Amino acid sequence: MSVWIDVARLATVVNVLLLASLGYVWGRNYLAVRSKHTLGLLLFSTFLLAENALTLYYYVVDPDLSFWYSTQMPTVVWRVTMLLHVLQAVGLGFLAWVTWD
Amino acid sequence: MEARLWYVLTGTRGGVNRIRLLRLLDERPRNANQLADELDLHYETVQHHLGVLVDNDVLRSSGDDYGAVYLPTPQAEAHWDLIEEIIEQVD
Repeated sequence: MSVWIDVARLATVVNVLLLASLGYVWGRNYLAVRSKHTLGLLLFSTFLLAENALTLYYYVVDPDLSFWYSTQMPTVVWRVTMLLHVLQAVGLGFLAWVTWD
Repeated sequence: MEARLWYVLTGTRGGVNRIRLLRLLDERPRNANQLADELDLHYETVQHHLGVLVDNDVLRSSGDDYGAVYLPTPQAEAHWDLIEEIIEQVD
């Protein structure tokens, strides 16, 4: 079971880093060009970053929930959860690649 | 084309430099060397930005030689109002 937890945590860390990079680029662009388009990208990365940071907090830091996640959650649920985090990381990785250009 | 212009010019890390480059080309056609001098960027950086703009049908090159100048494509000219709107916001 622990391998799914580790992969899910790692993918969440990757998501946080990718979204911070995207937010950096889109934040700078919003400062240069004020438009609904630049604001939209910045808000998208901000909220998705908050979601991933909160998830990581519950998986790793929060004393009650991190214990619950690592001991009580069934393996089959961890597998699905891990897959969702990994798919998000692949999608964000591709987005970061085209955005860093 | 409009969505592409927004992303290439304001959604990417190099977007702001690509806007500056378009502003200079709006005044008159220039080659990569002249653009690099005026924007104080490396020649390779300018080449990269020009390549992105050519790939996205914003610019076309007058030829393959070293001194080739860059011009807006007909598609970019059709949306030049939008490009100007974006250009005007950047210092």
